[in-house]
Amino acid sequence: MKVTQFQLDALREIGNVGSGHAATALSTLLQRRIDMSVPEVWAVEFEQVSAIVGQLDTPQAVIYVKVEGEASGKAVFFFPVESAEIVVQALFGTSEPMDLYSDEMAQSALKEVGNILVSSFIMALTQFSGIPLQPSVPALAVDMIGASLDAIFLEEGVLDDTVLFIDTQLTGIPKIEGQFIFLPDDGSLNKLLEAMGV
Amino acid sequence: MNGVITVGMADYKTATAPELLLTAGLGSCIGICIHDPVLKVGGMAHIMLPTANGSLGGNPAKYADTALELLLKEISSMGANKSRLRAKMAGGAQMFSFPGKPPVLKIGDRNAEAVEQELKKHKIPLLVADVGGSFGRTIHFDVGTGELRIRTINHGEKVV
Repeated sequence: MKVTQFQLDALREIGNVGSGHAATALSTLLQRRIDMSVPEVWAVEFEQVSAIVGQLDTPQAVIYVKVEGEASGKAVFFFPVESAEIVVQALFGTSEPMDLYSDEMAQSALKEVGNILVSSFIMALTQFSGIPLQPSVPALAVDMIGASLDAIFLEEGVLDDTVLFIDTQLTGIPKIEGQFIFLPDDGSLNKLLEAMGV
Repeated sequence: MNGVITVGMADYKTATAPELLLTAGLGSCIGICIHDPVLKVGGMAHIMLPTANGSLGGNPAKYADTALELLLKEISSMGANKSRLRAKMAGGAQMFSFPGKPPVLKIGDRNAEAVEQELKKHKIPLLVADVGGSFGRTIHFDVGTGELRIRTINHGEKVV
């Protein structure tokens, strides 16, 4: 579906609130001040995703949850492996390198952090639309970003062609950035926008 | 320097030796590589789903059946002999698993099966199928030699 500039502005506001929740949660978890901002929001068709993601074989950590409720869909948070490593190191209070590809402790911590971030955005969607949404348990992949995203796009269900991207920047820990994506199931985006009155 | 032609998601391209075809970050998608070893031409398709199911509209390069047809047509128009064509494919992984929930529908496996069937239908031998697993792949295909280089982040690199 086509998303207007006005609707995009409303979605950006959701992104701002979502990243606010995420920053608060992450600050508590890491015991330091974290701020997040949303420089950019896009609604694109999923074949154009590479234009936003960039190199499709860059290794990134991807946390994926399914969202159930009246406006169901899939929610994803992803960030470069280097960023993910910094977050996990901060969480464990160590500066030792961590192998996110095989260290189960690190992976499980990462999954939890990702889950908090994704849930923050879902909470914001619910706040603005009044539609209750329930996230599933999170799944994690640390691999080529294109590979992880294509699997998410294609896995079961009929998706709307539109993918909602919310770019986020974290400050407080150096060099961390990430992106939140919401992939509405067919009809969900319409429902959300309508419920928000835009 | 050889030219490298990039094939995007739901896209297909053809090439003439010494050009290379590249598609990056295959997850459950599949890269189908076809070449004529004598004429040294070929092509690659990056398909996302098994079949267009006769649905009109949408992008035909997204589906195994319609993408292969388009690709073969273009390779033939370059002068390739259909009886000499050979195929290789890679991708079809399952990137995520949810604890306690068996995947209802493994799209990667279904994609691989669909490609296999379509190739059979067109009587093109499938020499290599590097499919499955739970990791992404980036592939380079040399249409001259038919060499397929498969690169992964954490599962090595090989040429098949």
